[in-house]
Amino acid sequence: MSLSSLIYRLTGTLRTVERAFLLVLNGKYPPDNFRLCLDQLQPQENWNNSQINSHKGILEQILGDGFLFAVPKHRRTIEKRLKRKYGDPEYHMKILLPNKKLQVCNVCGDDHEPKTLCPTCYKKVIEETRAMQDAIQNELKLEPVEQEVVVMYEGEKDSKPEEFWKGKRIVEMEKPRPQWFSDNLLQKTTQKGAETSDVKPSNLG
Amino acid sequence: MNQAEVTKLISQLKISPPTRLRKFRTPRGPEGRLDTLRKTVTALVKHERLELNRARALEARMYTERLISDAIRYGDCHKTTMEMADYWLIEKQLVHKLFKVLVPRFENYNIACTRIFYVPRNMTDPRYSKAVLELRGNPYPSLVRDTSSNKNLIHNILLEEAKKAYRTKKYAEIAAKIDAVESTVGLENPTTTESDGNK
Ligand SMILES: [Zn+2]
Repeated sequence: MSLSSLIYRLTGTLRTVERAFLLVLNGKYPPDNFRLCLDQLQPQENWNNSQINSHKGILEQILGDGFLFAVPKHRRTIEKRLKRKYGDPEYHMKILLPNKKLQVCNVCGDDHEPKTLCPTCYKKVIEETRAMQDAIQNELKLEPVEQEVVVMYEGEKDSKPEEFWKGKRIVEMEKPRPQWFSDNLLQKTTQKGAETSDVKPSNLG
Repeated sequence: MNQAEVTKLISQLKISPPTRLRKFRTPRGPEGRLDTLRKTVTALVKHERLELNRARALEARMYTERLISDAIRYGDCHKTTMEMADYWLIEKQLVHKLFKVLVPRFENYNIACTRIFYVPRNMTDPRYSKAVLELRGNPYPSLVRDTSSNKNLIHNILLEEAKKAYRTKKYAEIAAKIDAVESTVGLENPTTTESDGNK
């Protein structure tokens, strides 16, 4: 590059700078080449605002310094905390407690709540009852019921006198009478003397 | 007031009825309630022992008691009673049972003719409390064990021993009497003081 061309370019640049200063002084916008440096000459307040906004993200602009969620303002008392945790002994306890109201069955020794039947004995009885009900309904079907129904277990035909079966509807069960189901509910306490001298084992209740 | 007391016009039940009736949730209102109870009453007269929910058992008990007490009071020639029996017993063979079996059975009862026991709760599902409703004098095994006749109970053993002691005392008295008289007429059989037929 020759010296003459360098001088030419320098003088050209100086000329445009001179023109730009003249324009600014006359209150007009400078040409594109000088816009950036001239923007800094804007008023101080505007410049500050634009600087802050450009640095922050859009969320920060909306939220500002902070955002409060709905959180408890006060600490719950110890009574309330314990009641929430374990329940109330007067109303409802949430923890498991032993049942102290149980009774013991005199017959089988199972536990049950007062005023209710013993579950073991009841299960035994109700199963036998349902079997008997089925047998009775199979026997009676849809005929009009005009006589008392008597249930006769296997091998009981001869154990009772004829008068016992008279005037009654006999329903037979195809199994021997359960041990616990006593058939002599109206047995007299005084009985006839034994005819033989053989000693029998007692009935054990 | 010259009117007769209304409460005396119907037969008094041997159970204490509640002050107000239980509601059973049904879309058909009061009629639906009676329909469900009719089924229960019919089943009770038919099977004589039922396992039901507690409220249903207590409610059906009252209607059964009333039906049987009316049947005992008026008999089968009374028109209203027959209509009631026809209404409450859905299966008509049970109308015969009511007048021919249940009326003779309960005629001389001084106590209620039904009985309720509470069934133990199922601990896996303790929401529903159940009850057993039964007619007295049924052929099924008893739900409560009769322990009064158990000879191994302590009071029965003591009574038995007391009876034996009383008997030996009486025998000794009789023997002493015979010895004192020294009669040559013949030996009298010592009569026992045991009373047959006592329950
Ligand atoms: Zn038991």
